This record gives sequence, C-alpha cells and structure tokens, in this order.
Amino acid sequence: MLDFIATYSELIIEGFLLTVGITLFGIFFGLALGILITLGDMYGGKVVSAVIRVYVEFFRGSPLVVQLFIARYTVPDILHIPIDPYVVAFLVFALNSAAYQKGYIKGAIETVFEDQMLAGLSTGMSKAQTIRHVILPQALRIVIPAWTNEFCSLTKSTAVVSYMGLLDLTGAGRIIAGETYIVLATYTFIAVVYLGWITLFTKVADIVYEKKRIPGIELSV
Amino acid sequence: MTQTVMACKNLWKSYEKHLIAVKDVSMEIRKGEIKLIFGPSGSGKSTFLRCMAMLTPPDRGEISLGDQCLTAPGVDLNKARARIGFVFQHIYLFRHLTALGNVELALRRVLKLPKEEARERAIQALKDVKVEEWAHHYPAQLSGGQQQRVGIARALARNPDIILLDEPTSALDPELTGEVIDTLRDLAQKGATMLIVSHEMPFAQEVADEMIFYDEGSIVEEGPPEQFFNHPKSERAQKFMNRLIKKTQRE
Amino acid sequence: MDLGQQILLMLGGVGNTLIISILSFFMGILLGLPLAFVRAYEKDLAIFVDVFEKVFRGVPEIVLMLLFYFGLGLYLPFPFGNVFFTATFVLGLRSAANQSQIFRGAIRGVGEEQMVAGRSLGLSTTESITHVMMPQVFIFSTPGLGSEYALLIKDSAYAWVLGVAELFKNMDLVRANTYNFVTPYAVGALLYIALTFPIATWLDSWGNKKKKELGL
Repeated sequence: MLDFIATYSELIIEGFLLTVGITLFGIFFGLALGILITLGDMYGGKVVSAVIRVYVEFFRGSPLVVQLFIARYTVPDILHIPIDPYVVAFLVFALNSAAYQKGYIKGAIETVFEDQMLAGLSTGMSKAQTIRHVILPQALRIVIPAWTNEFCSLTKSTAVVSYMGLLDLTGAGRIIAGETYIVLATYTFIAVVYLGWITLFTKVADIVYEKKRIPGIELSV
Repeated sequence: MTQTVMACKNLWKSYEKHLIAVKDVSMEIRKGEIKLIFGPSGSGKSTFLRCMAMLTPPDRGEISLGDQCLTAPGVDLNKARARIGFVFQHIYLFRHLTALGNVELALRRVLKLPKEEARERAIQALKDVKVEEWAHHYPAQLSGGQQQRVGIARALARNPDIILLDEPTSALDPELTGEVIDTLRDLAQKGATMLIVSHEMPFAQEVADEMIFYDEGSIVEEGPPEQFFNHPKSERAQKFMNRLIKKTQRE
Repeated sequence: MDLGQQILLMLGGVGNTLIISILSFFMGILLGLPLAFVRAYEKDLAIFVDVFEKVFRGVPEIVLMLLFYFGLGLYLPFPFGNVFFTATFVLGLRSAANQSQIFRGAIRGVGEEQMVAGRSLGLSTTESITHVMMPQVFIFSTPGLGSEYALLIKDSAYAWVLGVAELFKNMDLVRANTYNFVTPYAVGALLYIALTFPIATWLDSWGNKKKKELGL
C-alpha cells in the first residue's frame, strides 16, 4: 500500500524541496526584513511609520491566500507585466513573515529597551551603537520561541501554493492521490513528512539556541 | 584653586504639569570633591543626576563639564558622556555580556581601543573593584553586590572626569551593601571626584566633603556632614535627620 | 453577474466565514481548555496532549482538510462527507491545539499558588480549578485568544479548497464571473482586514487592561 512512495519518489522530493525552499527563504528573509522594519518604525519618522503600519495591517489582517492571489493576478493585471508564480510565492511569503516577525522583534526589543539604552548611553555609546551592541543581541535571543513558532506557521501555509500551479509537497500529494486513488495513505504520508520537517528544524534550532544561550536572558514564553 | 569638574546653573526639569523634579538648581563640583545628595524619595534626586549626565535633557539651565557647555546646541553628547561615569540604582548591566564584556564594550566602541589594550584595562578595572574572579560570568550568575561592583568598574574603566552614582546600594539586599560601600570608600581614598545620591549616612559622614539636602526639587541646605549630624540649619533637614536616625537606631 | 449578485455573494461569503470561525473557535475552547488542564495536572496523560498539539500545529490545515474529506470522508460519509463540517472540524482541531498552548501558558502565568490557596480553603481540586483558576486563566489568555480568533477568520479561507462558499471562494467566484482581477480581491482583502482588526485589537487591549488591573 505504501509503494506509491517509491513510485512517486521524484515527485515527492521535488515537492518537498520547493516547500523547504519557500519556508527557509521566507523565515530568514523575513527576519532580516523584520529587523529593518522594526528599526524603521522606531527611528524612521512619521511617514515611514505610517507606511509600515499599513503594510503590517495588510499582511497580518488578510489571509495569505488572498495576498498570494493579489500578487499573482491583481498586481500583474494593474502593471500589465506578467510575474512569475515562483517569484510571487517566495516574495509574498517573505513579506508576510516579515510583517509578523516585526511584531515579535518589536516586543522583544521593548522588553529590554529602557534600562539597557540608559546603560549604553551612560558609557558614552551612541543610540545606534547601543542598539547594535546591546539591544539587538538581547532581543534576538528573546525572540527565538516566537520565531520557531513563526517557522511552523510559515511551513503550514506554504501548502496553498499547490493551488497556484506550483509543485510543492502538498501538490505532490494531490497528484498522487488523484492518480492512485490511495487517498488516506497518501495524505497521511504527506502529513508525516511535514511533521518530520518541522521537528527536524526545531531540533536544529534548539541545538543552536543551546549553544548561544546566555543565563539571565530568559525567553518570552 | 582646584578646577571645577562639573557644574550646573539654574537647572529646571519637570514631568507632566505638576511634577517639578528640578527647580532652579545650581551646583559646582571641584576635582577630588565628594558631594552627597540625600532627601525624601520622590524629591527628584535621581532625575537631577540623570540630567547632569544628559541622560535626560533638562528643560532649562546650563550644565558644564570642565570648560565644555553640555546644554549648548550641537554638542556631541556621546563624547561628553564618555567623560562621565554613571552608576545606576538598578545596575543595568548588559545581560548578554560577561562581567569582562560589560567593562570592555565602551573601551572598544567609544574609546576605540584595540582588543588587547581594552581587555587589559577591563581586567584592571575589575581588579580595582575586586571582582576579577568573576570576569567570565554573566550578570545573572552574580549576586547583586557583585553586579553593582561590575557596574562601578564599567563606569570607571574609561577614567572619567567624574562619577555620578544614583543610590548605588538602595536596590541591594542589606548584607550586600557593605561590599559596594567598601569599594566606594576605596575610590574616595584614591581621590575620585564623585556626586552621589544615597541614604547611607555612616558612609556619608565618613567620606563626603559636602552633603546636600534635596527636597521637592530644590537644594534646601548644604554643608559639611557634621553640620547635618549635629546642628542642621533648616527644620526640614532636622526632621529628616531625626527620622533617619530613629530608623538606624531601630535597625 | 450584476453588482447586486456580486455584493450578495461577498456578503454571503462573509457570513459563512464568520460561522466557520466562530464554530471552530468554540470547538477550540471546548477541547483546548481541558487539554491544557490535563497537560498541567495529569503528568501521565501529558504526552498525549503533546502529540495532539504537535500534530495539529504542525500539519498544514489544507492537508488535514484533504485528508479528512477525501480520505476519511470515503469511509465515514457522515459526518466527513460534508465539506462545511469537515472544514470547520479541522480548524477546530487546529484551534484546540493552539488554545491548549495558550491556556497552558496562562495557567503557568496565574500560578500554582492560586490553586494552593483554593485548596487551603477546603475547596477540592475540581472546585479550585473551576472557581479560582479558570476565571483568571481566561482573563490572562484574552490577548492570545484574540489573535487565535483573528487567525481562524483568516484560515477559514482554506475551506475554499473543499469548495465551501466562504469569503475567499466567493470573492474568487466574482472574479471568475467578471474577469475583474482587481476589485473583488481588493474588496475581499479589505473585508478580511475589517473582520480581523477590531476583534484582535479590542480583545488585546481589554485583556491587557484587565491583566494590569488584576496584577497578572
């Protein structure tokens, strides 16, 4: 009953790689962009903050599928240029993740900000230096549990790209189920692969975290 | 005539509408002097100290460090603060750095010293406050007293012109205040210039050149310690000293 | 398709979205709350709760919906042969897993001492849980529940995969019928934002205010 795995192994691997690709790109690019956005919100001035607010409300307030469809169909329609669906997928997930990560990062920064900024300034460092050498190192550690949560969310939401014509893990599953009619086993298998991927990543993250752990910087629960 | 290290003139600072923490305060600290400010809580002493370090900008008035006016527009405050050492009531060590790291950070980023030199000076600073054993420990692994001593080392490492201390022992458990006070006494003996906000009366009596009674935003009375302990000139100071002495007697 | 029909379709979609999200939210509470307490107080059963949480927080909702409807639906046409039920049920399970975590954090935040205080008055464990812990746990969880509900409104869009006529499906239907790639999607996005924004913000601020008041 499980021979479909062997038969369709290429398809499964291809789908898995796309899922992994979008997820990794999204979570890391989202982190970098999230930090930039947080700093921009804190120091960029009123206009920048307003733009960021709109951006965050849009990406956090609407479903990912809507964002994907708008990027896939509405934007090319308005601009009269076709946009490659792969580009759409990678970009939208990264922008979406950045919007969520900004919230977590901002919260983490706020936890340490007041007293650590005073301490940093009191030693003669500038605001920028204090943010770079004192606040961010602490905030980025505090943010880790929320970040791994975000990773799980991101992975799950990638399943929808199979409805945009891209071959991800779910897409592979749908093709297999469609061709073999072995529905329950196929989707269960796909589910297990997702779980495996998430477990792997979180275990690796745990190991990295243990290495970088500093007693006294406790995590936001 | 010893030079003035730090001075303020007609300083004003208020929060919201009615809370005036600093009301037209003027003060001078000369090299090697140790002035101690004391008074009821909420009177604005901490705010005043933070204004002096330009950590909180004053509303009005002038502050000078040596011959540089800090309140003038266009002043590089970071450079100025590099010449001031500040010790906080709640310590505020950098949690993500070891004791050594805490002291080194400003040496490397502000004084731009090379790695080895920064490390040497940092270790020496830790030795001066007698915590070099814990150089590689993180703040969370240190007791309150040890943390505050690291805080003092961090403030001292740049060889500042003056050290400002905001109730350095108030947040510590009673049995830990001793080690910090010993450290401060050491510094005093070595000739440091200090402006301290504190309630530690025995320490004040021993070490301070001048004591300042600060209440409701203003300097009510100033003078040598023996003035306050034997014959305070103002009624408010007298009342406060009475309460303080009663409290120490009870302990 | 004229404008009237379009509007009706979108509004009908909003209606279904709300029904799905509300039902799955309550399912999440009904299942998630006991799970959290079991996890906190019954050490032997804790592992089952952990597995449940792992599975329903780790597997994509879409995959679960496909699994339940096309997989289980074959053998159990009632109830998994019904798209509306299956979609809501899957989201309910996912929500239960999330809420189990939220409540667990709240139980920890409220603190063991409250239980001890209750028992010291002579209340049984169950009574202490019901009268002492639960009210505080709810208040503590409010911000987290607020975002979970907003999440359900957004994730209700996944029901479109099974063909349920909720907002996303309908907005796409309007697009398909009018060939307008801009308006239906834009209006749909705004409707979702309008649905999520007030609830998340309101519950967030109410919850944080209450927490502050009670010193939680």
